[in-house]
Amino acid sequence: MNLAVVSFLAYTALLIAIGLWSYRIVEKVPISKYEKEFYAAGRGLGGIVVALVIAGGLASAGTFIAGPGMCYEYGYSWVLINNFQIFMNLLLLAPIGIVVGIVARRVNALTYLDLFKARYQSRAIIVMLAALVTIFLLPYMATQFVGAARVIAQMTGMGYLASLALGSLVVLIYCVLGGMRGTSLATFAQGIIITIGCLMLFIGTVKYAGGFQRATEIIAAQDINFLSPTMGGQFSPVFAFSIACMTGFFVVGMPHAMLGALTYRNTRALKKGIWMGGILVFLWTFLLCMAGVIGRSIKPDLAVSDEISPWLAMNVMPEAMSGIVLAGIVAGIQTTVAAMAIIITSSIAKNLLKELKPGVSGQQMKLASRWTMGACLTIAIGLALFQPKLIQWIIFFSIGGLEAATFGPILLGMFWKRGNQWGAISSIVWGMIVYALANTAVPQLRLWGSHPSFVSVCSAAVVYVVVSSFTARPSDETARTFWGQAREAYK
Amino acid sequence: MKFVEDSRIKISRKVLALAWLFFALYLLFIMGLSYLLGIRPLIWGLPRWVAIGNIVVPAVFVLLLILVAERFIPDIPLTEDEDSEQEE
Repeated sequence: MNLAVVSFLAYTALLIAIGLWSYRIVEKVPISKYEKEFYAAGRGLGGIVVALVIAGGLASAGTFIAGPGMCYEYGYSWVLINNFQIFMNLLLLAPIGIVVGIVARRVNALTYLDLFKARYQSRAIIVMLAALVTIFLLPYMATQFVGAARVIAQMTGMGYLASLALGSLVVLIYCVLGGMRGTSLATFAQGIIITIGCLMLFIGTVKYAGGFQRATEIIAAQDINFLSPTMGGQFSPVFAFSIACMTGFFVVGMPHAMLGALTYRNTRALKKGIWMGGILVFLWTFLLCMAGVIGRSIKPDLAVSDEISPWLAMNVMPEAMSGIVLAGIVAGIQTTVAAMAIIITSSIAKNLLKELKPGVSGQQMKLASRWTMGACLTIAIGLALFQPKLIQWIIFFSIGGLEAATFGPILLGMFWKRGNQWGAISSIVWGMIVYALANTAVPQLRLWGSHPSFVSVCSAAVVYVVVSSFTARPSDETARTFWGQAREAYK
Repeated sequence: MKFVEDSRIKISRKVLALAWLFFALYLLFIMGLSYLLGIRPLIWGLPRWVAIGNIVVPAVFVLLLILVAERFIPDIPLTEDEDSEQEE
């Protein structure tokens, strides 16, 4: 057993210990407070953990595997495209963080669907969103397992299946046993490992390549387009802008990012979460993407571009360090899976179950939460057996779909008093239809070469406004709960 | 629908506008400089647009974000019990 495997196994053991420890904490909580503890970690997360929960949840295998892979494949143009995602903590917490923080405490919302329930009072919306979130997040989650399995396979030499089992089992343990408490603790430890791993990989790669100047000259000799911001016209500024919207302005439509907004302790934690998230995502994105481009000057003939980060870790770093780097990459992926697992479980086991079976007891809910989470992770692991090759496009597809369904109802629902359930339902249905058409039969909907999510999200928001304007206003009670002064809210 | 709006909601709207303005400015700088600066002369061994547009600009904006978040987002209570919130 080499040193890389030993250091990776030590990291895995740490996560299992966190899972078991969190399980003990969650089990001690009285059944009446179980949901708040399992889904929102008692709503007491501090700034650093909030920063890591959001940044770790949103920065997925797309950042740690596919991002460097795209930079390897398309040069510096994808460093620019990846740099658009740096401020996702700001664009999630600042637009809706405060209002979600206030309303969630007023209506005791523990999940993002609880907020939808309070805002729109509509069973149809809960059922539709629970289904859509599951449909889009499961393949997204599967791509994360694929990424983790590829890293572990490269490092240990084990087969894909065994690597998949090792990478996913540990997430299963700390998510199912510890819920949000286990996830947040694990995310904190993982955030440190991710940051150290990214720094080490970047320094090791630049040193091995002989510096930026030499690497740039070698890459330019391979293809001068690698130095272009558009890869010689392949990625137009309009396409880049649509990706900037998807990973920036529209990020409030990502349900698994909402975890941070639902769990932070106070506005001081929110502010820390915003700027610390900016620093962390900038470091992770920049260091890994640059390593991906420079990696081309070291190894120009890699068959699968997505394997550049694990390849670099295994070939340009000392053995013991490569284990830490790879643990960092796997950690980045696992944080996303954990956030998604919490969101899918809360959508199905808490919101959907309560809608369909209102009299469900606390004990039944507890069991349902754990079984649903176990089942979702198992399905995602099953999907990962198909081993898709281009995971970045699947990730973009899932993000775009989620945002097309939820951006309007979340953002406008939080700020526009006139918005109602008819606007929300129409917006979700319209967004899904346009997104499906733009991805299949009517590619002309990708206006000026933009990503399909751009026209879907924008037009769905317009539909929300138009339909809400021509239908009944929401009830006075809803308006007071969301925007009224404290005394009014409880009238 | 007559009621007095919670002053914290107004703050929340301002913070939304601030965040979107900040990101819009970031996009303006990063995209403008990346598409306009060109490749040569290399800076630190990197194409000019990468060095300035994709290292200097994000680094400056990340530092600015600390200032913006700490200076322009006020500490406000999230629960109705202001005292207990401020004690935290």
